[in-house]
Order: sequence, then structure tokens, then C-alpha cells
Amino acid sequence: MLRSAAAAAALTAWPDTHLARDVWSRVLHLAVTPARPGAPALVIALADTLLPRTDTPGALDVNAPAFVDVIVLEYYTEEERAEFLAGLEAIDAMSVTVAGAAFASLDASAREPVMQALEDPAQRTTPAGRTYSRLRGLIVHGYFTSERVQREVLQVDVIPGRFDGSAPLHVRERSGVRRG
Amino acid sequence: MVVRPCMCVSDRACVVAESRQVYDAIVVGSGISGGWAAKELTERGLRTLVLEAGGPIDPARDFVEHVQPHEMKFRGWGDRNAMLREQPIQRECYACDEVGRKFFVNDHDNPYTNPADAPFRWFRGRQVGGRSIMWGRQVYRWSDLDFEANARDGHGIDWPIRYADIAPWYAHVERFIGVTGAAEGLAQLPDGEFLPPMAMTVVEREARERLLRSFGGSRVMTIGRAAILTQSHNGRAACHYCGPCERGCVTHSYFNSIGSTLPAAERTGRLTLRPHSVVAEVLTHADTGRARGVRVIDAITQEEYEFEARIVFLCASTIESVRLLLNSSSSGGLANSSGTLGRYVMDHHYGSGASGVMPGHLDKRTIGRRPNGIYVARFRNVSDASPDFLRGYGMQGGSGRAGWNRGGSLPGYGAQFKDALIDELGPWTINIGGWGEMLPAAENHIALDPTVKDAWGIPAARISVRWGENERAMQRDIVASAAESLEAAGATNVRPYGRMQPPGHCIHEMGGARMGRSAATSVLNGWNQAWDIPNLFITDGACMTSSACQNPSITYMALTARAAARAVDLLNRREL
Repeated sequence: MLRSAAAAAALTAWPDTHLARDVWSRVLHLAVTPARPGAPALVIALADTLLPRTDTPGALDVNAPAFVDVIVLEYYTEEERAEFLAGLEAIDAMSVTVAGAAFASLDASAREPVMQALEDPAQRTTPAGRTYSRLRGLIVHGYFTSERVQREVLQVDVIPGRFDGSAPLHVRERSGVRRG
Repeated sequence: MVVRPCMCVSDRACVVAESRQVYDAIVVGSGISGGWAAKELTERGLRTLVLEAGGPIDPARDFVEHVQPHEMKFRGWGDRNAMLREQPIQRECYACDEVGRKFFVNDHDNPYTNPADAPFRWFRGRQVGGRSIMWGRQVYRWSDLDFEANARDGHGIDWPIRYADIAPWYAHVERFIGVTGAAEGLAQLPDGEFLPPMAMTVVEREARERLLRSFGGSRVMTIGRAAILTQSHNGRAACHYCGPCERGCVTHSYFNSIGSTLPAAERTGRLTLRPHSVVAEVLTHADTGRARGVRVIDAITQEEYEFEARIVFLCASTIESVRLLLNSSSSGGLANSSGTLGRYVMDHHYGSGASGVMPGHLDKRTIGRRPNGIYVARFRNVSDASPDFLRGYGMQGGSGRAGWNRGGSLPGYGAQFKDALIDELGPWTINIGGWGEMLPAAENHIALDPTVKDAWGIPAARISVRWGENERAMQRDIVASAAESLEAAGATNVRPYGRMQPPGHCIHEMGGARMGRSAATSVLNGWNQAWDIPNLFITDGACMTSSACQNPSITYMALTARAAARAVDLLNRREL
């Protein structure tokens, strides 16, 4: 309950003037309407579901979808971009089949069966599964390389000052006490 | 005709390069060997002009080792489209990444060619410091097993020197630059004068012990020997383990020319360093044939200059030095009465090895990012002869826990998935790969391309190097022995891989102006001195008569220091 509320709150907190939506529309000639939230909304929703806010920031708190924008729009080749977008369409088609609506329109609990379907190893070679896999990688990378996660969550030292090849690994305390 | 002052070595401008002044020495190149030539020649009293094709480096402005992923547009993935456009070849190099690519050449300004069936990767930079900025920093002494190899099996010609000749110079270099390592007492990998070793990880220590036991002490996994400081040394600070040395180091904690040899040269007051100086030709006196100096094209203005000196050191890197000599004479290249100029080019072959998972130790992690790995000393053709191939290989590798980087392959989503990536690091993984010796062969050569020229109108190099059967046989053995070693080390999920990279990819290209015992069969004598032109010395990788399997840069440094001392001695005795 707490998780789905947090997820819903995170969704509504996403700025409506998100640049990516406009850029995606312009660059990719995608029609973005309330009825068809389009690629950016799907990416945002998947990012939020994959890495929700808990006692640590979520993917949306650190703008992980912006990294997806950069890669899809400026790094991928034409073919990769076309395949990726087709895959997003396939994900939304699966969402309609499994849960009755596009993924971004679903509330947190309704998303569960869609996520289960996407995570199914049988999906690995389908367009939906391949794109889901790529998107997972992008969101994880965008999240963990963000400044806030590096500083607050991973507590990465830019200047460690020493190398220890056998340091103790302590379990993180939920209050956020520094580990190690 | 006065040129801009250089500002690379310190805040003070270097003395401007005057082409009317006759220098005692000219050094072409400011990288691994050029910086050493500059230091040794100036410290021994010579007014020295160092000519560097590329631009100056200011550590504070240009070094990028502390740039964090979130400060990179592509978060470390790199601007793929820009690199495809500007650096289609350089981008294949591991160090030519999102921020490191600034130290690599533009491939369109700096073309080279190769036959279609002989792919070659030529990775390099053009700036003060050359590849000493981006290099891997691994340093291993050669032994007489290496110096005697050609004489023993008949491939190539005999080296004109032995370990006893170079050992004092290895020590001289190590004392100045600072080398971290652990003494192992191995004949085939002589110990150096080491600063304290870096630590192995808990699984590397376990792997080492198991490997020693399993193979009766013949396979020794040691901590890497590297030109990195583990304590402060000669005014440079110890490493602070931030990770990517190949992007530069503002504390000068690893060796490059910028932080070490060039400042030493500058302190003598006898250094003139002229960047943006493309050396197009070595000039000789028409009557004596001795070197007179060099012709330079200013990289920015395209104006031409001539600089003169009593001696010339070529330290432009293997392919550039050979190319320069080929471009310096219309009849087969300068210093080439032997006909061997450009021939017997080698590289180390690599790309094969194995990876695995080391069980346990899940309560341990690393602190700091160690810029060094482990090294398994050569164990083939050391005491027992391999039935399958001549010579041998060393192995390099490392270990670690992937942490969040394993997220792509970890199933799941939501809070538990996120926590797993934050709180758990995944298993310890270990990997080792082989770096193997290449036999010298006459057909592996560098020539001038008949039509392609670089951005300054200088004929490009045409490089024809192909792996031979000995290299392929060695690669097969590397795959097998890497897997065998990891299994003996206690690894599970051992996965061998055989991905032999093309020549050049290892970035240890050498040969083309080899040292030898006779002017009939070599370009250089035992002092790196050209047989045909006694006041011309070549001390970069071009001079190498065989390749061994050890990373070669420290050997280039030692040969350079030794040759510089000899050159000054000859000058002082009026024999040059």
C-alpha cells in the first residue's frame, strides 16, 4: 500500500512540461495525446516501477529517464531507435492485453501482472522483452550514475585515499547510516 | 623567426625555439622515451630542443581523471556518433572513451593504411607527453631468457646487449619514476627496485596460494608492477586510488612525461620544448651523411622551420620514427644500408583468457579503485619446452564485485530489486588474459603509402603485419591455461574466451629499426646508434630486436637513458 502510494505520488510529481516528451514528439513524430501517453510516459512509468522511491530515492527522483532520452535520441542508430520504439509499442500492447490499458495509465497494483509478463524469461527474445531488457539497463545506469545516488546512497568517494582489497562489508542500516 | 612560447611544463614560458641557434641535441617526441631523452641529455649538460607534433598539456586544465559520470553527457557511454565521425579507429581503444578521447588523434588528420587482409590498429595521441598520459603503467624487466631468445631459436637476429648491460638502467629508471611491486625472485621476471606493493584482493590472495600449490611453484600470480607511487617519491604524491589514470593525474602519482621527466629537464634550464612541431624530415650533411637536424612543419601555421643540432634522438614512437626515416630519403629511407628499415615489426598478441567466479568472501569488499591488476609471470618455455610453440606469454587480470553494474542481468523489479543492487555486491569474479610474444619476421613491415598523406602533406605509413602460426598456437594455449589456472585457483563458472585482437590493438607495436651486432643486418648498434649515421639515435619501440612478452615501456626508458649517457660521453670525448 505504501509502495503504490509512493509510486502514484511519484507519478504525479513528474513535471508535465518534461522536455523529453516534446523532444520525442518532435524528433520522432510521435503523436502524444492524453489517450495515448506515448513513449516518454511509458519510460517514466517503467522507471518508477523498476526503481521506486523507498527509504532511498527512486528513479524519478534522480531523473533517470533523462538518460534514456540521451541514449535513445543521440546515441542509438536509426535501426536501434526504430527497434526500441517498436518494442515500447509492443510493451504497451502487452499491457493492454494483460491489464486492459497502456502501462502508464495503470495504477501500481494493476502493473504487477504486466511486470511479471515482461520479466518472464519466455519474453526474452520478443520485441517487448528485448526492449524491456534494454530499458532496464538504461534506467539502472541512469539511476546509479546520478549525482544524488552516488553521493547519498552508494557514498562513493571520489578520492578514497587508499586501497583495501579485503574490507568488511557491513549491512546498510535503514536509517541511512554509512556502511563499511 | 621566433615561435610562440610553450606553456606546458610550468607557468614560466620555455625559452622560445630559435631556428638560428644550433642546439646540442634535438629530441623528436615527448612521450615515454622522448621525455627520458630530454631529462638525461639536459641533465648531462646538453642544450636540448624537444619537438612535439601535438599541443601542450596543462594538468589543471587538461587532466580529467576526477570527472564523475553525472558530469558526462552520456554517463560514460561516450558520444558514439562523434567518435564514429572523428575517431573511427581510435574509439576501438579502451582508453578512448567519453572523456579520454581528447588524448587520442583525429583519424582523418592522421591516416594510415594497411592491406585489406592485414588489419592493424594504430592507437595513439599527439600531445606533449604522448601516450605516457594514457598508457597502462605496467612495467616488467626483461631477462636474458628474452635477450637470448633470437639467438636460441633463430628467429630474428641476436640482440647486441644482455641483461647485465641494461640492469643498471632499469634501476636508474625505477629509482627516478617510482615503481610499485613485490619481489618474487623469478629468473624470467627480474625484480626491480620497488616501492611497497599494492594490496591484492582477498580472492586474489587465495588464487595466488592455490596456484602456487597446484603447479609446484611454477605459476606465480603477483601483484602488478606499475609506474604508480604507493608512497610519495621525488616530490610527487602517492596515488589516491581514484581509478582512471589514463585520463591524467593532477597529483602526478603515476609516471608520465608531464609530471616527471619533462619537469626534471626543465629544471636544468637547458630544455626548449616546442609543441605543434611536426617533424617532416631528418636532415643530413651532404658531404658527411651525418645528421644535421630536422625540418619542421608548424602544426598550426603550416610554416616550415629547420632546426640544427649536434645529435638527434628519434623518440617519436615506433611507427612515427620509422615513417620519419622513410620520408627522409628518396632511396629507401635514411640509415638503411642494411635494408632492414621498416622490417621485423612486432606487437604482443592478446585477447584470450578466462573468467570465473570465486566462491565465498561475500562479507568482504574493496575500498578504493586500484589502478593495477595482478600478473602471472611467464611459465611456458621457461624450464620445460612447450611442444606447440616457441617463446611465451605473461598474464594480466584482476578481480572484483560488480555491485550495481550487475543490474542488467539481475531479474526483478521494485523495492527489493533496488535494495539488492544497493546492499549486495554480487559474487567475486576473477579474470586473467594472456599477453604473448610475437616472433620477428621480415615480411611484417612498415612502408610509405604511395598516395595517402596526413593533414600536413607527409606520406602516411602503410603497415603490413600479420600474426603467424606461432602466435596462433600460443593463443590456443593461453585459452587452455587460463581456464586451467582459474580452476586450480578455486574458481567456478570458469568461462574461457579466445578473441585474438588484430596486430596493433595491444598498443605494444615495436621494431622497424632494430638493434643488432652488424650494420649488414640491423639499423642500430648496441647503443641505439644508427650504424650509418653515428650522431642519430633511436630509442623508442622501433629499436626493438625481439618483443618478449613483458610490457615494453620501461625497457624503452632504460634504453633511452643508457643511449643518452653514451651519446653525451661520445660528445665529450669528441668521438661524435
